[in-house]
Parts: sequence; structure tokens; C-alpha cells
Amino acid sequence: MKLMKMVAVSFILLLSSNLMAQKHFSRSGKITFSSDALLEKIEAINQKATSVIDVATGKIEFAVLIKAFQFEKALMQEHFNENYMESDNYPKAIFKGMIAEASSIDFEKDGNYPVSVKGDLTIHGETKEVYAKGVLLVKDNKVSAKADFEVLVADYKIKIPNVVKDNIAKSVKINVDVDYELFKKKSAQLTAKN
Amino acid sequence: MKKYFKYILLLGIMGAAFGFYKYNQPHKNIGNAISDFELSSVQLFSDFELNEKESNTKYLDKIIEVNGVVNDFSKDDSGVATITLDSGNEMFGVICQMDNMSKHKRSEFKIGEKVKLKGICTGILMDVVLVRCIEI
Repeated sequence: MKLMKMVAVSFILLLSSNLMAQKHFSRSGKITFSSDALLEKIEAINQKATSVIDVATGKIEFAVLIKAFQFEKALMQEHFNENYMESDNYPKAIFKGMIAEASSIDFEKDGNYPVSVKGDLTIHGETKEVYAKGVLLVKDNKVSAKADFEVLVADYKIKIPNVVKDNIAKSVKINVDVDYELFKKKSAQLTAKN
Repeated sequence: MKKYFKYILLLGIMGAAFGFYKYNQPHKNIGNAISDFELSSVQLFSDFELNEKESNTKYLDKIIEVNGVVNDFSKDDSGVATITLDSGNEMFGVICQMDNMSKHKRSEFKIGEKVKLKGICTGILMDVVLVRCIEI
């Protein structure tokens, strides 16, 4: 019986410590990419990226659906999905990384915190390490993040035919812009349900 | 040779015109497009939850008519509206990003109301995501 009680108490402790571990969360992150080549400038926007920042560990994650990128021209979007990204086979792009300065950021104090993020970016089934500099903005307990970085098309085994090599840049700029919400309420719901 | 020249020229012009048309081809008109599937948001989510791979093959890029209860409604800074439909799981939903290239009957939705939307399925992250949605 005593053992049961101990298990119950440690379980409750575990749950409450889980509640303390704050997470900032978004399912409407904006990811834009642009390819600025000799002949053509191509831009696409995805407004439904999900992202999580775990305050305790400094972990940051992003996920996007490739087919949710919206292009100006239908033909570009078709080529992007069918020929280059093969989004039927690889429907998602995922980033998992760490905010280097996480421990020195006070997520409850308003401010503008410059950050650097390093982690693994998986696109087209290929994973490569990327590094990005960005800014975390904390205002009224709400966190937003902005970052820019570049990736090489060749790094992700995306083949660009010779005919269009002057239409598509070898290095693509990626812009990230996310407004987070505190995840606390949802995790409280979850633990209440269990 | 001279005899054929005008035909070759004509062919060239036709090719260029076709290329130009293809290049500037507009995006699919969702309002006029025929739906590939018609189901409830709960059903769509549970299909993806049960077997993501199979559902990807079945639903990706398809036009889906989905009916369900509005769990959340929001608009971002640029005015893009998003409706989250009930998925049967309170943690997740079927996120419908409204189309900014189509005309909409209305721009406000109430939480709890039943709606029928039509859009292109792009897959599942935590929620199933449809883009370019319109109300029908």
C-alpha cells in the first residue's frame, strides 16, 4: 500500500513538473522562400507551419507541409511539387534544433533577444545541418521569432535540369516568422484528461 | 525551302503562344472544381491518424469537401482567414486556410457553427491541413 502511495505521489510530482516546463507553440508559422536567379525571381509562402520551443531545454522544432507552399504562378507550383520536391513522396520538411542562448533568455521578460539556432533540416528526404541567426521577441508573455538563412538546393539532392538552371537559384533564401502561444493551457487539459 | 518557311514560322509562333499560356496559367479555380471526396472533418482526421501513408496517397492534392463544427476561427495580419474544424480529438483539428484568390460569401465565422468547406488537402502535421478553402 505504501508503495502505491509513493508511486502516486511521484506520479503527481512528475505531472506538476511537466506543467512547469513551458512550451511555446504555433500552428500558423510563416515560412517564405525565395530563389533569386539570373532569369527569374520565385517566391512561395507557407502560412501553416507548426513550431514548438521548449523553454527548459532550448529545443526548437518546425514542420511544414510542402504542398501548402503557395506560388504566384500555378506552373511553378506544379514543377516545385512534382519535379523538384517530389512532395507526394516527401510531403513534409522538418527542422529540429537548439537555441544556443536559451538559458540566458527570460521568456517572461519583455525584450528583443538575438539568437543563433543550429540543427538538422530535413527536406526531400535528405537531412543536413543548418545554422541560422534570428531574433526572439518577448512581449506580454508572448513569444515571436524571426530568422533568415540559406540552403543549397544541391544539398538536398534536388535535381534542376540544365534548361532551367538560370531560372532557379543554387542557394535559396528561407525566411521564418512565427508568433507563438503558451502551451500551458493545453497541457493542463491533457493531464486533466488522464 | 521558302515554301515551308511560313509553316515553320507559324509553328514557332504557336509554340511560343502555348509556352506563354502555360507559364501564365492561372491557379485552379476551387469554386468551379469538382470535389474528389466528400466527408466529415472527424472522418478525414481519423483516416490520417489511422494510416498517414495510405491517406497521403488517397487525399494529397485532392479537392476535398469537408463538413464539421468550427472549433476556432482566426485572421492573421494580412487578412488570411483560418477555420479549424473539429477532429474528434480536442488537441488537434482540421485546419482550413481560406483561399485569398477566391471571393467569399462572408468573412466571419462563429465557433460552434456547422460549416461545409472545400479545399486542397496538403497532408497532416499535427492537424490535417487544407489550403485554398472556400465555403459552400
